[in-house]
Amino acid sequence: KRDKKEEEDACGNLFQNLEKTAVLQETRIFNDTPVHAKKCTHILTKILYLINQGETLASREATNCFFATTKLFQSKDVILRRMVYLAIKELSPMSDDVIIVTSSLIKDMTGKEDLYRAPAIRALCSITDNTMLQAVERYMKQCIVDRNPSVSSGALVSSLHLSSQAGDVFKRWVNEAQEALNSDNIMVQYHALGLLYHIRKTDRLAVTKLVNKLTRQTLKSPYAVCFLIRIACKLIEEEDASSASPNSDTSLSLFEFVESCLRHKSEMVIYEAAHAIVNLKRTSPRELAPAVSILQLFCGSSKATLRFAAVRTMNKVAMLHPPAVNVCNLDLEGLIADSNRSVATLAITTLLKTGAESSVER
Amino acid sequence: MDALMEPTLYTVKGMCILDNDGNRILAKYYDKNIFPTVKEQKAYEKNLFNKTHRANAEIIMLDGLTCVYKNNVDLFFYVMGSTHENELILLSVLNCLFDTVTMILKKNVEKRSVLENLDIVMLAFDEICDGGIILDADPSSVVKRVDLRNDDIPIGEQTVAQVLQSAKEQLKWSLLK
Repeated sequence: KRDKKEEEDACGNLFQNLEKTAVLQETRIFNDTPVHAKKCTHILTKILYLINQGETLASREATNCFFATTKLFQSKDVILRRMVYLAIKELSPMSDDVIIVTSSLIKDMTGKEDLYRAPAIRALCSITDNTMLQAVERYMKQCIVDRNPSVSSGALVSSLHLSSQAGDVFKRWVNEAQEALNSDNIMVQYHALGLLYHIRKTDRLAVTKLVNKLTRQTLKSPYAVCFLIRIACKLIEEEDASSASPNSDTSLSLFEFVESCLRHKSEMVIYEAAHAIVNLKRTSPRELAPAVSILQLFCGSSKATLRFAAVRTMNKVAMLHPPAVNVCNLDLEGLIADSNRSVATLAITTLLKTGAESSVER
Repeated sequence: MDALMEPTLYTVKGMCILDNDGNRILAKYYDKNIFPTVKEQKAYEKNLFNKTHRANAEIIMLDGLTCVYKNNVDLFFYVMGSTHENELILLSVLNCLFDTVTMILKKNVEKRSVLENLDIVMLAFDEICDGGIILDADPSSVVKRVDLRNDDIPIGEQTVAQVLQSAKEQLKWSLLK
């Protein structure tokens, strides 16, 4: 029995007593030809594990390690190649001259192997700076409209990351993003909407147009619908704040869209819509009712997260419109003894705002 | 007010897997403004672990973050987001992370197998979330892209020891359930 325990400990310690310098020494075998794929994958895993545990590499150590890793592009082993991309992303912030892998990555991202393409794009964008962006622009545009969803998503997400540092180049990718928005893949649609909004967000007219168009068609992706609800709410708030008549047509039709999302088939979207309605300044107590009854329904869910989300939102309603929550007092009382303590606490504080003396006694 | 937050795809603040002592097995933080150093991250993880390891309650708010979690035998999975975030979106990420790892480890979701397959688990992290943006939330599509090992030896060609080992594992798991 003891043997078994020791054996398990030894396995559990697979990565426990690693020495940084020893592991970095091991990268020497990256130079061997042919490449030992299994061994090299394991060494890369050890390096990434050490970094993840908080080990710091000096710039020279990281650079040496980075250059050794680039030798592994010779191997065709898929897992090893994927680990190389990961290592490039992790090591590039600490190393110098990381742009030497640009051509290898461009080769992979434009190559035939789909399993390489998406992660190669993401690795490439992590080392790309403003000056290089021009060179990769053509490939990025192609990848955004690629038929393979992971390639398309990878390119869209990378563009968004790049946009924080690179000025205006990505604004020329609107057409491609627009095309990706029509994708059948739910993640591609979500990422495309995210990028489009980011490109246009300073132009209110363009955003309004985009939202109006999308609220009339049905987006397939629940993530995209949640995002659309958030954009719509932002427009409603801005519209109400700027125009003289608080109930303009735009703001009204947008509100109708958010309200219609209460009948969506995805719980995620229903909750997003209810949450939005509760938080909008313009919502009248009458308009609150459908949102509150959705939240009331969620209070009885078997998922703690759903109950939590519901009470937390109700808690907010109770601050502004205590009467609107009164109808839920019984449901809230049921949650006082909830197995999740946060849910119980929130239920109690909400009740304190809405409850009458009678319920306190119970 | 929540509704006035700038709509953004940057949803996930962090994801981690801890062991049953609250030590980090793997963790990623995506927002440089929260926990900029590993020391702060680990302190947060310890705190989070202490608050969650006994109560199997699925969700907690801690230090200005909403955190959804799940545990299995000796592992704890966490996904963190801002307190303004839609909790159900975070939950979908957690479920994806957990199911992906379950599929990668062929149901042996325990510390030892995570460490044995750490490379694949790292790749899974990378495919689920890219710099805070949810890249994919469908476990089967994530697994298809990361689990590229071709070690599925047909049962006829396995050694006696291998068959015995897998039988032992299955027995152990059926007892633990």
